[in-house]
Amino acid sequence: MKPWLALGAALVLAIVVAACAGHDWVSPAALWRVIDGDRDLGSRLLFDWRLPRVLAAGCVGALLGLGGAIFQGVFRNPLAEPYLLGSAGGAALGATVALLVPLALPQSLLLPILAFAGAWGATLLVLGIARVAGAVDAAGLLLAGVAVAAILGALRSFLMLALSDETVSLQIVLSWVLGGVQTPTWPVLGLLALITLGCTGLALLLAGRLDVLGLGETMARAFGLDVTRFVAVAVLAGSVVVAAAVAFGGLVAFVGLAAPHIARWLVGPLHRALLPASALVGAIVVTLADAIARAALPPAEIPLGLVTAVAGGPFFILLLSRRLRA
Amino acid sequence: MTAVAAQKLVVTRGGATLLKGLSLSLGATGSVALIGPNGAGKTTLLKVLAGLEAPQSGAVQVGGQALASLSNAARARTIGFLPQHFEPHWDLAVRDLVRLGAERGGRPSGDHTSGDAVEQALVRYELRALERRRWSTLSGGESARVLLAMVLVADPPVLLADEPAAALDIRHRLEVVQALAARGRDRLSVVVVHDLDLAFRFFDRVVVLVDGQVAADGPAAELLDDRRLDAAFGVRFERIRTAGGSILQASTTTA
Repeated sequence: MKPWLALGAALVLAIVVAACAGHDWVSPAALWRVIDGDRDLGSRLLFDWRLPRVLAAGCVGALLGLGGAIFQGVFRNPLAEPYLLGSAGGAALGATVALLVPLALPQSLLLPILAFAGAWGATLLVLGIARVAGAVDAAGLLLAGVAVAAILGALRSFLMLALSDETVSLQIVLSWVLGGVQTPTWPVLGLLALITLGCTGLALLLAGRLDVLGLGETMARAFGLDVTRFVAVAVLAGSVVVAAAVAFGGLVAFVGLAAPHIARWLVGPLHRALLPASALVGAIVVTLADAIARAALPPAEIPLGLVTAVAGGPFFILLLSRRLRA
Repeated sequence: MTAVAAQKLVVTRGGATLLKGLSLSLGATGSVALIGPNGAGKTTLLKVLAGLEAPQSGAVQVGGQALASLSNAARARTIGFLPQHFEPHWDLAVRDLVRLGAERGGRPSGDHTSGDAVEQALVRYELRALERRRWSTLSGGESARVLLAMVLVADPPVLLADEPAAALDIRHRLEVVQALAARGRDRLSVVVVHDLDLAFRFFDRVVVLVDGQVAADGPAAELLDDRRLDAAFGVRFERIRTAGGSILQASTTTA
């Protein structure tokens, strides 16, 4: 019970700190006046602009943590991460197409669909390459992921150069690629919260089978798991989660890698606990990172993806070196 | 009562034929030691019998039904498979590992029978004191007991074990091999055994595999004196009688 209380308390604290932080810092008392129903100009700004942004960052973080935990479970690899495995890059390519290519469907509908298709396709591609090369271990997957991510990144850059003109601003695509939570309206925030809860529920349906898969392929088969089918289903589910995270938060690196590790220290490796704990850790991390992005260099805003990459890169190097030494 | 029969199994992989039309009939009870030189196809045979690998041709019958027609869950509950190497990817606690074994084939976690089975297995394999320990902290003997508990907690009528004790010291190896052979009293227990003395001492029946085929097959007491044994391993055995049975002492044929 203790780690859950700690995680819950940390999340509340992170939200309060993030809501106070920004171009203009406010006191917690000002926050309380907003919650109490005060609607003067300062409170309105907080209510309409800052609070939705803070909560959206939390949701995006939860999705990233969840996606990371699913992918690490499926690949049975603590270095697996949506960003490194190409699925986030695939989602970004899909989203870039949605933003830049004039298509028949409205953009609000097209963006999540193409982001999902990109995430799913890229993950299957990486998995397929690693399988064909006979290298479904940590190094093989990471190398295949790096290669696919590089190709997808190049395609995305090409699209940006070739298709942007006065009517579609490069700035929108670029800020989105660098990672950043847009301030949603309250109804959109509600939708995002529902998606986050739905994804958590979806992930929990996989929990028991992820545990069995973690026993290794032979043992999992002996225990009655249809490994091939389950991996396909879980990759699909992971891609849905990643696509949702990318659709609302752009490319945010390393949260999906770090959150499950921190969660594993806190609640252990069983997925029934690990998945929700990863979501909570991801929410805490991104809420705080987004606060730094908004408050560190006023009046400018640092892209969120840069903040998490600066913090998460060293974390990844640490993990990699510990693994290579083992 | 679940008898296992294999008919004309052929398995090829990467150009090599691992099983060459192998047929084998195993009763519903009995302890069977599977022996043979390296590369004879022992592990492949066990995996095919367990339904973990599909043969190119031939079929396996389990309890009168085609193995391929069983659902994954039914197969998992009927056949216990003990792999040669087991290393979980996540550092689970002993109790959770045994619970995953009890819940195989999708039994609900709240199911009382699986909860009781976990308790019994923990007691039976002397794991009560270790139940909260993580896998990475266990010694070789302890992890062998955990693996036994994981596979046998569901009490499958058929057990297929692949040299689970090969890396253990002699006392733990004896304990594990004896425990596996003892299941043959009222169930079917097929064990790939590296140590020939243990195979002939504890098992009812010995099957000798050479080059993907059955080279010799019979009651342990009879097969011990069979010269085909020497040919199978490419050595000359001297059979030394002892109070507890026999010891095989091998020397190379060229000497």
